[in-house]
Amino acid sequence: MLDKIRYFILRALRNMRQWPFLCSASILTMAIALATVATFFLVVVNIEQLALRWTQEIQVVAYLQKTPSRNNITLFTKQLNSIPGVESVTYISQNDAMKRFKKHLGEDASLLEGVSRDLLPASFELELSAAFRNQQGISTVIERLENIIEVDDLRYGQKWLERFNNFVQMLRFIGVVLGGFFLFAALFIVSNTIKLTLYARRDELEIMALVGATMRFIKIPFMLEGAIQGLLGGLLSLGFLTLSFVFVISRSLNSFWLTPSSFDLLFLTLNQQIILVLSGVVLGVLGSLSSLRRFVRI
Amino acid sequence: MIQLYNVTKKYGGDSAAVRDLTLQITKGEFVYLTGASGAGKTTLLRMLYSAEKPTRGQILINRQNISRIRSCQVPYLRRKIGVVFQDFKLLQSRTVYENVAFALEAQGKKRFEVSKKVYQALKEVGLEHRLQRKPLELSGGEQQRIAIARALVVDPLILLADEPSGNLDQDVTFEIMDLFKQANARGTTVLLATHNHSLNERFPRRVLTLDQGKLIGDQQPLHV
Repeated sequence: MLDKIRYFILRALRNMRQWPFLCSASILTMAIALATVATFFLVVVNIEQLALRWTQEIQVVAYLQKTPSRNNITLFTKQLNSIPGVESVTYISQNDAMKRFKKHLGEDASLLEGVSRDLLPASFELELSAAFRNQQGISTVIERLENIIEVDDLRYGQKWLERFNNFVQMLRFIGVVLGGFFLFAALFIVSNTIKLTLYARRDELEIMALVGATMRFIKIPFMLEGAIQGLLGGLLSLGFLTLSFVFVISRSLNSFWLTPSSFDLLFLTLNQQIILVLSGVVLGVLGSLSSLRRFVRI
Repeated sequence: MIQLYNVTKKYGGDSAAVRDLTLQITKGEFVYLTGASGAGKTTLLRMLYSAEKPTRGQILINRQNISRIRSCQVPYLRRKIGVVFQDFKLLQSRTVYENVAFALEAQGKKRFEVSKKVYQALKEVGLEHRLQRKPLELSGGEQQRIAIARALVVDPLILLADEPSGNLDQDVTFEIMDLFKQANARGTTVLLATHNHSLNERFPRRVLTLDQGKLIGDQQPLHV
């Protein structure tokens, strides 16, 4: 058994040494295909992550028509707090609003001199729990909120949220379609490259069959070769991805307007890196298998 | 050893490469298969090592009916049969040793067994001093001897040869014939397809003659 395994590995390595050009072509093709898919995956994951960060900053601000009485403030705060999904409620009186505005204006605060304190409306600021920081969650909270207080205006970045949600949905869809397409293209290219290597060695395959080699005996070294090439292709793509992430993607995206200062770009986790390399192995074996079916006939 | 009953092989259409062939070759026989080009010699040999299946009729090799053999059983049939071709079918990128060892490795033989047998087989064909050469560095006759060593190294019951001397001159052909005779003397049944009549004159044996796929002659030698 060990003798056989040793023979298969040696055969696979010797074949690769005998056809260095074709072998490198297979490895490179797989590396490029895998790196393309992984890059796209990274872009999607990072944008999703960014979206998640943004939604964390979402809060609902309800501007009131009338300034409520002190008793009502306590009552409303209590009632608003009881809405599912609301984490905390802060009442901002007209006075507080003016103070904030002044602070915000800084040196230009003098502009507000002589302006009535009643200019800015009182408001309730609602922090939402993570599960409700999305369009649907906000809608249910607002529905309940409007039953409790008389609202003059609501602010929660509704249009922006709507657009962003659509954008992320579309991105996911494109990710699935393009990812699938790239994987399929990769499989196709890899299988064709392996077909070329098998075509160059069709004499060997014919002679093996003639001297009484079983299907399994003929196929295993080629599948092993596909697996080794896939492994190398996977490692190469990981190396390429790491380098391009460090030197290109993170630099260019960090300077992009979308990125909040606290946002660190995500790279593949260890598990995802292992999956990437293993995908190379699977791609190599599948590519070999599909081509062998055509070339090995007993 | 080889029995054919009403064997016909058609490749589509009405024309048959082999028609209604019935013949028997006993164990240890040496038989020539002659006929003009296109007479069906190669098709018959290909059916014997199961590269083709007969359209009709039965073929028995060593009492095993191979007419409808399953593809997973074909390798085991081929281990009993050595095949030699006019174009040698050697792996040019491998050494002489590797070419012969290939047949044993393909059958899953152990390494020490392989090296011993390969050396023995190459010694029998007189090429034990060329182990590490590549086939293209050798003459046509030497390449054919490698192919014969590869066919014989597995101790086959049957040796099939398809125009083995087609590319070789007379002297080399007779050297090759000596190798076939030696194999035959050790008990291997030999079926040699050729249109070189001088072989039969020099090494008279039973001759089967095909014409347009039909067996038109089965001559026993006058003297052996």
